[in-house]
Amino acid sequence: MQAGLLRSFQNSSQSRGMTAWFISAMLFAFYILMYFTSVFDPLATALGLGSRWNLYGTLYTLAIIVGGIYFLKRHGNSRYHQLRTYSLIFFQSVMAFSIPMVMEIFDTKGFVFSIFWPLKMDYFYPQNIFEYPVLLIVYAFLSALIGVPIMTILFGKRWYCSWMCGCGGLAETAGEPFRHLSNKSRKAWRFEKVSIYSVLVLAIITTVLVLVNWSLGTHAVSGEWSTEHSTLNLVSSKVQGAYQFIVAAMLSGVLGVGLYPLMGSRVWCRFFCPLAAILGIFQKFGRFRITVKDDMCISCGNCSTYCEMGIDVRAYAQANQSFKRAACVGCGICAHVCPRGVLRLENKWDFKTEPAGLTPQSIDF
Amino acid sequence: MHYVIIGNGIAGITAANKLRGRDSSAQISIISYEHDHFFSRTALMYAFCGQLSERCIEPYERDHYDSMKFERMRDKVVRLDADAKKLSLESGNEINYDRLLIASGSLPLMFGWPGVEFEGVGNFVTWQDLKWLKEKSESAKRAVIVGGGLIGIEVAEILLKAGIKVTFLIREDFFWPVALDKTEGLMIVEQMRHHGCDVRLSTEMKQILGADGKVVGVEITGGEKIDTDIVVISIGVTPQTAFLKDSGIEYGERGGIVVNDYLETNIKDIFAAGDCTEVVWFNGVRRPEQLWYTGRDQGEIAGLNMAGDKHEYRRSTFYNSAKLFDTEYTTAGLVNFRLEGEHNWYMREGKTDRTVRIVYLPDQTVAGFNMLGRRWDHRVLVKWIEEKRKLDWVLEHLNEANYDEEFMPPFEIPKELSGVK
Repeated sequence: MQAGLLRSFQNSSQSRGMTAWFISAMLFAFYILMYFTSVFDPLATALGLGSRWNLYGTLYTLAIIVGGIYFLKRHGNSRYHQLRTYSLIFFQSVMAFSIPMVMEIFDTKGFVFSIFWPLKMDYFYPQNIFEYPVLLIVYAFLSALIGVPIMTILFGKRWYCSWMCGCGGLAETAGEPFRHLSNKSRKAWRFEKVSIYSVLVLAIITTVLVLVNWSLGTHAVSGEWSTEHSTLNLVSSKVQGAYQFIVAAMLSGVLGVGLYPLMGSRVWCRFFCPLAAILGIFQKFGRFRITVKDDMCISCGNCSTYCEMGIDVRAYAQANQSFKRAACVGCGICAHVCPRGVLRLENKWDFKTEPAGLTPQSIDF
Repeated sequence: MHYVIIGNGIAGITAANKLRGRDSSAQISIISYEHDHFFSRTALMYAFCGQLSERCIEPYERDHYDSMKFERMRDKVVRLDADAKKLSLESGNEINYDRLLIASGSLPLMFGWPGVEFEGVGNFVTWQDLKWLKEKSESAKRAVIVGGGLIGIEVAEILLKAGIKVTFLIREDFFWPVALDKTEGLMIVEQMRHHGCDVRLSTEMKQILGADGKVVGVEITGGEKIDTDIVVISIGVTPQTAFLKDSGIEYGERGGIVVNDYLETNIKDIFAAGDCTEVVWFNGVRRPEQLWYTGRDQGEIAGLNMAGDKHEYRRSTFYNSAKLFDTEYTTAGLVNFRLEGEHNWYMREGKTDRTVRIVYLPDQTVAGFNMLGRRWDHRVLVKWIEEKRKLDWVLEHLNEANYDEEFMPPFEIPKELSGVK
């Protein structure tokens, strides 16, 4: 038995009880105040952090470190999970937090090497990216357009989503107590397929619009928008602002984290993250899959329950069906909690693709 | 065609799924008194301690019965009239069938101890047992578990985690003698003791002591009395077939339904699968196979054959798995069968719980594996046994069967052990 998972369904805070609703409400309130008001500015100044965004970054990094220790208490008997957690803590505290801070001390705009378009739309917005040195501009484009596909084809989504990403990092650490709350129904799976690719399309449209607008010369001059109110310029800036508000602020922050205690830690990653959508597409064509050891599953449900992405892993395991799912972030918990060692994460080319159109429920019949 | 299935466990539901796959229009009815939905019996322990919810251990979404067009009856079969092809149910209803599958599973053995009727004595096999033990554990301080097998160790684990003081009575001088060798059996005992379990080896329960109809203690070998609030008896299970008496169905010596290679009983159009049957084992002995895996395999074959196929149920090379507290267990082939002239190759990785035991015959052919601690791919082990691989070759290739999580320290055979005959 996985000691740390005990009573997951008996604690009020972990089973959508009153405490969970309370925590959720607090998180919503925190994010709304942080994102849309300046109530945290005095605190940030008092702490010598400058802006409230630095305060947010500090809290975020702390949450990942503390949550990481909690995660290791639960699953640290596995080397895979040790390394993965160290990696997440490293990328958050060094790459996403310290390096940009140091850059700002040297009067350079902070740059996060571990975050790519379209998760970070700014890195494809010309008015933003061209403020960086040439090397960083090249890095931003090459990493998103070439690095991401290659890495994902070789290792699946996991190199990013459960080893590097900040959103994933928070989910895997501070979000760990809530991982079993993800919705496993086929309905949720259908919703996921519509919602995540919709956001991806939105992200692409927004980026293209901004790029076209900029290349036509109606772009910002020295950081300010042109006063020349062409229709395109107006539409472009409106769309950019709407995307920023709906996707970046509401979906990834307020809802994404606010819903942790009610819908699990991967609401943003599973339903909305445009980068996850891209990674998922390449994962389907790549080497990574979860291998199922034939005829060994006892249908207990630990794998499905503790899948934060809501994949009904058991449906595949009891059907002897090794599988690739676009959503899978390769966290490896399904394999870890399996009491019969049925599942294994593998990077191998020789994968027999499943017949098209089958849902896991129908595989066996 | 109306197919009726008695039992909603792994054998029954697998047969129903297979039947539906072969026949989209047939009427399929499933009768069970235990639960409205199929659930994983092997996961009861996780539902007990809250690692899983009660819903989590249902392997299918709840619309499964509707989408597969299975009719369910929450009822108990009390009589089978094979001539009239009719079942009488506890509710007084009757149901006719064209083809019947008996997959009624098994019941826990209770032996005839004085005092088994006291409140506080029970088992951990059914959904009702789960509810019973959950309720009991809320007020209980002490528990005694009788019977050193898989269910016993699982109950010991979950009761300890619930903060209850556990005494575990094992009749033999080490844990789980039907599966493990003494060395590994004692290693697991050591682990149980490390977790705070009071394990008593070579100890039997003499009687259950009660007051006002409630359990207060047990008396064990040597006369010692142990105070307790719960007694969980886990000495094994026996086929649940009492409701078939006078039906003309043929029983075996151990109370299971006798079936042929096609899982047909002695009566036409009646099939049987799972724990309630007796099948012929590799060594020619006819007896029940009370495992999750064999229940599933038999259900599959029975379902297909009921639909008109002619598949033989072949008991392929044995394999099984378990988790004993923190230690995972994989076995393949014949271990503990005391084959003629068998030898054992055994190693333990330092002081860890990782052990390897390979049983081989005088001509070096490998016959079985008992592996603890690490994960192993039973498919590879089974293949080697079937290919009649020799010990040297197997030791050389053993790593290929390793199935550990990534980045685990690699499995290595110490130099002084490799090549040992």
